[in-house]
Amino acid sequence: MTTSAFVRPARVRPLPEDAAPVVSLKGVTKRFGKVVANDGISLDIYPGRIKALLGENGAGKSTMMSMLAGRYQPDEGTIEVDGVPVKFSSSKDAIAAGIGMVYQHFMLVDSMTVAENVLLGQEGAFFINPKEMESRVNELARSYGLDVDASDYICDLSMGERQLVEILKLLYRESRILIFDEPTAVLTPEETNRLFEALWRMTEQGKSIIFISHKLEEVIALADEIAILRRGRIEGELDPSAIESKADLASRMVGKEVLLEVNRQPMDLGSLVLEVRNLTGLGLTDVDFSVRRGEIVAVVGVAGNGQKELVEAVTGLVKPPLDTVFIMGQPWRKFFAESTWNRSMCYIPEDRLGLATLRNQNLVDNLLLTTRKGFARGMWLDKKRAERHTVKLIEKFNIRPGRIHALAWQLSGGNLQKAVLARELYREPRFIVAEQPTQGLDVSATEEVWSRLLEARKMAGVLLVTGDLNEALQLADRIAVMYRGRILGMLPTSEAETASRIGPLMAGVLD
Amino acid sequence: MILKIRKRDEPWKWGALVIFLGALLFSLGVSALLLAGQGKDALHGLNILWQGSFGNLWALEGALLKAIPLFLCSLGVAVAFRMQIWNIGAEGQFALGAIGATWMALSFPDLPGYFLMPLMFIMAFVLGGIWAFIPAVLKLKLRVNEIISTLMLNYIAILLLDYMVFGVWKDPTSFGFPMTPEFTSGAVIQGIGGSRVHWGLLFCAVVGIGLWAFMRFTRLGYELKASGEGVRVARYAKIRYGMLVMFVMCLSGGFSGWAGCIETSAVLGRLQPSLMVGYGYTAIVVAWLARLEPLNIAFGSFLLAALRVGVENLQLELQIPAAFGVIMEGMILLVVLAGQFFLMYRLERVTRTKGE
Repeated sequence: MTTSAFVRPARVRPLPEDAAPVVSLKGVTKRFGKVVANDGISLDIYPGRIKALLGENGAGKSTMMSMLAGRYQPDEGTIEVDGVPVKFSSSKDAIAAGIGMVYQHFMLVDSMTVAENVLLGQEGAFFINPKEMESRVNELARSYGLDVDASDYICDLSMGERQLVEILKLLYRESRILIFDEPTAVLTPEETNRLFEALWRMTEQGKSIIFISHKLEEVIALADEIAILRRGRIEGELDPSAIESKADLASRMVGKEVLLEVNRQPMDLGSLVLEVRNLTGLGLTDVDFSVRRGEIVAVVGVAGNGQKELVEAVTGLVKPPLDTVFIMGQPWRKFFAESTWNRSMCYIPEDRLGLATLRNQNLVDNLLLTTRKGFARGMWLDKKRAERHTVKLIEKFNIRPGRIHALAWQLSGGNLQKAVLARELYREPRFIVAEQPTQGLDVSATEEVWSRLLEARKMAGVLLVTGDLNEALQLADRIAVMYRGRILGMLPTSEAETASRIGPLMAGVLD
Repeated sequence: MILKIRKRDEPWKWGALVIFLGALLFSLGVSALLLAGQGKDALHGLNILWQGSFGNLWALEGALLKAIPLFLCSLGVAVAFRMQIWNIGAEGQFALGAIGATWMALSFPDLPGYFLMPLMFIMAFVLGGIWAFIPAVLKLKLRVNEIISTLMLNYIAILLLDYMVFGVWKDPTSFGFPMTPEFTSGAVIQGIGGSRVHWGLLFCAVVGIGLWAFMRFTRLGYELKASGEGVRVARYAKIRYGMLVMFVMCLSGGFSGWAGCIETSAVLGRLQPSLMVGYGYTAIVVAWLARLEPLNIAFGSFLLAALRVGVENLQLELQIPAAFGVIMEGMILLVVLAGQFFLMYRLERVTRTKGE
């Protein structure tokens, strides 16, 4: 395995007792409508140290960093720079305070040179001659040991080199705190190593680094301190040397405490609804499993390990190789060519507002989205009947606001998910694909979604893709753990040691 | 005191109307300034504009007459826009419709109206539809941006029309003027009760109501509306997006084709280059102003048609450049579009808390 190819330099860096944080978040809360993205976050960033921020998708990492970078303003709490409370009203303010961010998508002008990109938008840089410009940038690069030539054009550079240019931009602006949002996602292993070396060198010169990632091995290798963010809160801060294993870190990231418990009785298994045979391709390797009516099979793993690709292949968004995916006993092609609107497959996607519902349409139109064939009479659509059923479903699933003319975007996350669930279950599915069905929901909505899914087992098989380990353990009969496009293990939840085996598998450790 | 931008929880209920009226007032104001800038009496000018648009029966008839092709083109544009297909080729599809109608009128001059008229309408729809079908196929098969292809086909269509009237179909008795022979009586849509307004008005009403019902009550109409929310949702819902794009473009082009047919038959009674006065472009303005709703489109068409008639009058009376009308049209649209911002956001007064 290539997981621990990073050689950590011998550096003993205990935090000095009298060290003062250069940036502090104090009880910072940010809400978007009713969703709390960040909940009372307190965090200190010290000079000359690398702070890794570890968290699942949707844990609130980006929101937090956007506040530091001045793109959002906190609803509560304060941000302090050098002990002084600040209010950033734009990213300009943040840059002036010495905070800079390297985004996942580089913001560079391809047809310009490195030097031009670095000086672009700088005051007093309008009338500078190219030689002067290049020598300044080259000098800066040398002083941090960054291997870039200022006269190269961006379009000729590799992804790793482009990233160095982004870093140079920040260094030129004399940023003291550099934020990296998933910087290794676009890099080769070799480039990743070089980036890490550059980061260490920058800390030696007193820069602070915030490193956002969900790749465990990188975080362990790189960071001086690790903060774990989960569901918008700081779950804990730890010293990398105190980490016993990657598995330990993984389970802290996805959470293991039992929030909710449901009563699940095993059911008699029925016919096969999904069969995946040796699926290789689309970023997956040798995926092989099946789902029967009467069971819930969960797919877990750290985000980005192939879950999305698997769902896309199964739900018909992406075409898998021939003879790898069989749904309700039929080959993929045949199934999607002939599938009926009901008693078939339904898909409850992670993206509720952009994929599962029509943002600007009312609940009746949203009910019709996947059930329209059931309300059609020849070319006509029986809207009156659809309205009556919408009213019924709103009542049955307790969807608020209880008006059929409410538009999808006006619903809260939980109510929107209930609406999607109501619609999809109305189709009497025999096979359900549910993707992060309770992400962002509160406890009562989560409970309701869970009991509906368990109830649905009576008639259907369920493929549950989730980042919430507790959800998988509570609902599923079997759990498939994905790592780098493979299913590393298929564990029955009836066995007691399953819970403890998931963590290591998620980190790619096979005993 | 500072003004701060806040997102509204609910869209502003009467906002659309307020913004529209505001935009109208604003552009009238700017127009007055423009008039004053040319050394004319601004208030007198606005009065002439009003008189010329709504002041007498002749003006109202003229507005209604111009509203008919505008309405049909705009309906066609709107149905494509609904699906987020940016068909800005109504002008060319209008021209093809006129060519189709003329083709039938000149080929079967002796047929009675009740045979000839349907033939003209069918051919106008087919040719207009084909003209819009080309960009649809290019978009689906070769990923050609439909904004570019529909726009460029406009020029080809106008040149094609010119080719027909300067060449093949030129009236030998026209003393060299580029025009076809006059249509026979069976090919001319008659006026309603001796007024200038013709039966095309009724046709507009039927098409408008038909489209409204189609969008509201049929499965295809629903799928069209749903696809307008994005390709991804359409694929999620297993809607055949490609088929729908081709269908909607044919429909869109067909409507503009009908507009061309009616204008040629009822107003000119023959095909000639003066047919092309930019209804297809104004239709885009109308469709946006009306927020793609058929009933609003009817009002919008009438309003902008009245504006055109009024400006023509103003041109004669005060010797104003012809561009004046286009400027007003553009200004109303721009202000309305910019004003959409206030549907979702509002300005709020913020008083600074002490201690900052």
